[in-house]
Amino acid sequence: MLNAIKQIGASDKLVITTVYVIVTSFALFSFIPFWLVIVNSFASESELGLHGFSLLPSKWSLDAYRYLLTGNQIYYSYGVTLFVTIVGTVLAVLITAMFAYVLAHPKIRYKNQLAFFTYFTILFGTGLVGFYIVISMWLGLKDSIWSMILPSLINPFYTFILVSFFRTLPFEIYESAVMDGAGDYRIFFRIMWPISVPAIATISLFYAIFYWNDWWLALLFVDNYKLQPLQLMIRQLISNLNILSYIQGSPGSYGGGLPNQGVRLATVCLTIGPIVFLYPYIQRYFVKGLTIGSVKG
Amino acid sequence: MVFREIMRNRVLYSLAVPGLLVLIIFFYLPMFGHVIAFKNYNYFDGIWGSPWTGLDNFKFFFGGSDWLRVTFNTLFLNALFIAFGLVISVILAIFLNEIRQAVFKRVAQSMAFLPFFVSWMVVSMMLFSLLNTSDGLINRSLKELGLDAVSWYSMPHYWPAILTIISVWKTAGYQAVIYLAAITSISPEYYESAQIDGATRLQRIRHITMPLLRPTIIVLTLLAIGRIFYGDFGMIFGLVGDNGVLYETTDVIDTYAYRALRQLGNFGMSSSIGLYQSVLGLVTICVFNLIVRKIDKESSIF
Repeated sequence: MLNAIKQIGASDKLVITTVYVIVTSFALFSFIPFWLVIVNSFASESELGLHGFSLLPSKWSLDAYRYLLTGNQIYYSYGVTLFVTIVGTVLAVLITAMFAYVLAHPKIRYKNQLAFFTYFTILFGTGLVGFYIVISMWLGLKDSIWSMILPSLINPFYTFILVSFFRTLPFEIYESAVMDGAGDYRIFFRIMWPISVPAIATISLFYAIFYWNDWWLALLFVDNYKLQPLQLMIRQLISNLNILSYIQGSPGSYGGGLPNQGVRLATVCLTIGPIVFLYPYIQRYFVKGLTIGSVKG
Repeated sequence: MVFREIMRNRVLYSLAVPGLLVLIIFFYLPMFGHVIAFKNYNYFDGIWGSPWTGLDNFKFFFGGSDWLRVTFNTLFLNALFIAFGLVISVILAIFLNEIRQAVFKRVAQSMAFLPFFVSWMVVSMMLFSLLNTSDGLINRSLKELGLDAVSWYSMPHYWPAILTIISVWKTAGYQAVIYLAAITSISPEYYESAQIDGATRLQRIRHITMPLLRPTIIVLTLLAIGRIFYGDFGMIFGLVGDNGVLYETTDVIDTYAYRALRQLGNFGMSSSIGLYQSVLGLVTICVFNLIVRKIDKESSIF
């Protein structure tokens, strides 16, 4: 008996050691690229040229940031990304919430048809060509900031997360509110919205991160460098040889021996900054949102 | 009757109008673009005015060998991502669940989840700082060990492996969080009584956690397989970009259609590729969704 307990103890110890080793390795594996980019953005350019990217640079400098912040492009791009994220998220959450509310409302007889109308967009690919023609030619949104906002105002997956939440709302209130003479808009915005704040906050975060990280729409529709969001700025810095004049925000000016590599890293750091900064908050809501989504009814 | 129902609840229905408009304009209207697959599209005549060409665009696309390559790459890469993502995220979730030290668990989970929140452009810069031939961290380390540097960006045969590692890096933490949520909903009574009966940790994992996690694993995997014909454009374009040397192993249907449209300006061919993908995509999603429905009605998407 004692021997058996000892054996269990030994086997458990082996398991728990393996668990800690594997989980630690995976956590490091996940984090090292972040570390690499952040730390090396503060390395001096001569250090980067001499030793390349290292886990702990020996010479530090703020040159990359200083140079980046004297140019105009980072301000254009930050402005565009902020505008798209804020306006996009506000509009998308409003439209998605109103739409999802109708899909969840017991008085609506065509719920299933509306739901199918929404599902179908996930099932059948829209096709790149039609999408491109509608937005750039029919709507004339080429090189417009709205081309990065409007097409993403409804995300079917987020819609259904909200629908499943709205189905749990106390719709008995609805009847009595109608009796008291409240209209549908009043009921939605004054009664249903406030009790749905946790779910709506989660969806807002989903949309905000989506808009912050999106570059697909900008890649398709935006050529004007003044309208390029941060994510596209990173792409330009990777693929563009003449990055120095790009950063200045005015083609033509040119300087030599400036922090080339460092500027790319600094741009990445400024791009992921808000996400890393708000991360504890983001993570909590995301996990909550995933749980709401997984109990879809 | 339809009209009466809508009129009766017109105020309520009107709440859905902005959403419906977005769906119609940005999802349904573009579907008419599939017509271009059967046309010789030109800018001046537009979608409706351009002359019909029957199946010429398809003949052009299927006449070459590109379609086989991009279809194979799409399926092969997605299969790798699904298989490795599944195994590693399940292991990670089970292991995280075994950890009793709350702080360690929270920090580890946060680190593993973090890559999910950054864009492929950011990932591409991170990858560059690792793989870059002259001063990337990996080549620097190889050189210090006395080995030759590898020019990763011109060696297509390494890329299915590189892309799989990155895919796991980016999504396994996120998937693990979903599986972890499923594990934590398992009643602790099972574990307690197993412990009383003298089960080891390994036995508890094998005989309680694994079987109870199986339905979630099956459903999520089938849903992922349903989307196997859709390549991850953001990932491939973000990481490979215009590097033609790597197309052989990395080009997927989505990146191919994008280049046909934006670089060649061949609307007809790009459109026939899009239609080919949409039809195959629709069929596989429906088939796999039906299977999911059989297993667990709640989890099917329709």
